[in-house]
Amino acid sequence: MKKLVSLTLAAGLAVVGASGAQAISESEIQQEIEAFQGFFLKRFPGLTIEDFQDGVNALPQYEHRRANWELAMEFPPYEPEMERAAEEWNAPFKNGKSLNDCDMAPGNTYPVFDAATGDLRTVVGDINACLKANGEEVVKNVKRGKMARLIAHYRSQFNGERVAVDFSDPGAQAWYEKGRQFYWAKRGQLNFSCADCHVHNSGNSVRGDVLSAGLGHGVGFPVWRTKWQVAGKPWGTMHRRYGGCNKQVRAHPFKAQGEEYKALEFYEAVMNTGIPLKVPSQRQ
Amino acid sequence: MASTKMKIKKSKGGGYEVMVLAKHPMETGLRKDKKTGEKVPAHFIQTMEFALNGETVAQANLGAGVSKNPLIGISIPSAKSGDTVTVSWVDNKGESDSAEKAVK
Amino acid sequence: MKRRIFLKGSLAAGTLAVAAGAGLLTPTRVLASTWPKAAFESKTEADALNAFFGTSEVEQGDQVSIKAPLQAENGAVVPIKVMTSLEGVEAIAIITIKNPSPYTTSLQVAGAGGLYSTRIKMGQTSPVNCYVKAGGKLYLASQEIKVTVGGCGG
Repeated sequence: MKKLVSLTLAAGLAVVGASGAQAISESEIQQEIEAFQGFFLKRFPGLTIEDFQDGVNALPQYEHRRANWELAMEFPPYEPEMERAAEEWNAPFKNGKSLNDCDMAPGNTYPVFDAATGDLRTVVGDINACLKANGEEVVKNVKRGKMARLIAHYRSQFNGERVAVDFSDPGAQAWYEKGRQFYWAKRGQLNFSCADCHVHNSGNSVRGDVLSAGLGHGVGFPVWRTKWQVAGKPWGTMHRRYGGCNKQVRAHPFKAQGEEYKALEFYEAVMNTGIPLKVPSQRQ
Repeated sequence: MASTKMKIKKSKGGGYEVMVLAKHPMETGLRKDKKTGEKVPAHFIQTMEFALNGETVAQANLGAGVSKNPLIGISIPSAKSGDTVTVSWVDNKGESDSAEKAVK
Repeated sequence: MKRRIFLKGSLAAGTLAVAAGAGLLTPTRVLASTWPKAAFESKTEADALNAFFGTSEVEQGDQVSIKAPLQAENGAVVPIKVMTSLEGVEAIAIITIKNPSPYTTSLQVAGAGGLYSTRIKMGQTSPVNCYVKAGGKLYLASQEIKVTVGGCGG
């Protein structure tokens, strides 16, 4: 596998890994965004940053399979579900309010660092917090079905808005480092990091499948997957997908909405800075 | 229960494309139920009729080789804004469903 | 649910079924016919063509086109779109050669256009032959669609 050689990314990781004394700064994160995005724009010449909205379908190596997606998009399988999603979002609570009254951040700014609690707010977390605050039952399954539909409905209203996660607070920067550490660390029996497949081997094949580029991961989520549709549970959130990927390298999956996946989501969202949202998406 | 969905899109060359998404297991009759070990009986849509303003314009013939939750698309070059397209299907057990949509 | 009564006009169901089965459908208004059982139960392409179209003789040319992936993402859901600009289209049929029952699906046309799209199940890599009957003649376009083993899932 070709290793990234001359990127500041690798150098930055070595520094943090070694001493851990110097926390990363906002300007260093900015440099890492440029290095990460620059890597992919160079690896896939001819693609613009916006093209990465379409995930693996944007890659030239996907030409032999792209028609699967193009034909699916003529009548997106999630379209009837989006009508249901709108109904679910607008359904009134017992107290007369609805999810429309929730304190949500703009869809393109998640995850949001909450200085008061030191925690990261995700769309999932905010929806359930709002339900709880209004005396409604929270959505228990945060990886599929209803929760995915609610996220799809909310985020799709921000389609076209460019990802703009705020990492100005030192607390947010600590979450960023945690997520970056996760992304580049090897794990599982197969001893792969996220980067091994989605950076170093992006565009290459794993048996019959093509590895997507890490740039753009999550911009289209939640996702409607053919594979999950065949099994009867078509919708999935980012954390559902993370769990699946971890299991794929024979690593123990982490809990959805737990610290690890929230940090990872934060890191990936920061790396996506500038890419317009395109929610939901249909994939294999 | 109207679980059959229809989408009507304007075609580039004139006329319209009609796409139908039906909810149906499309069982081949060869799959074994994991719990009972018994073969799940064949259950699939057989015919799907398309009509424009009440007049049949096409009939699709389906078998168990068509994917679950069939997506069927045809074109109706003569369709115009204000027309009504109806689709109705029947399966091998005699169950059926239909949907209707106006051409915008 | 009210069962739609397909038969319109004066032809008895039996006569119509025979006529349809023998491929003697008129090119103009097709009275909705019974499900082409013989074609669906055929084990070879030639049998299926004869059962549905009444012929297996194919014209040369590229009047029919297919939009389909070269490689399926999922063998249970393979999208395929058949198109033609031929006039007088009577029927379109999709034959998946390596499937146990090759005749997969068809469209009988009586006012609609020369387009049929759907999603099929494929057990393995196979040529998919798409036939169009128009003006009394049979035309063909074929594409091989690969079905592979995946590498990443989740």
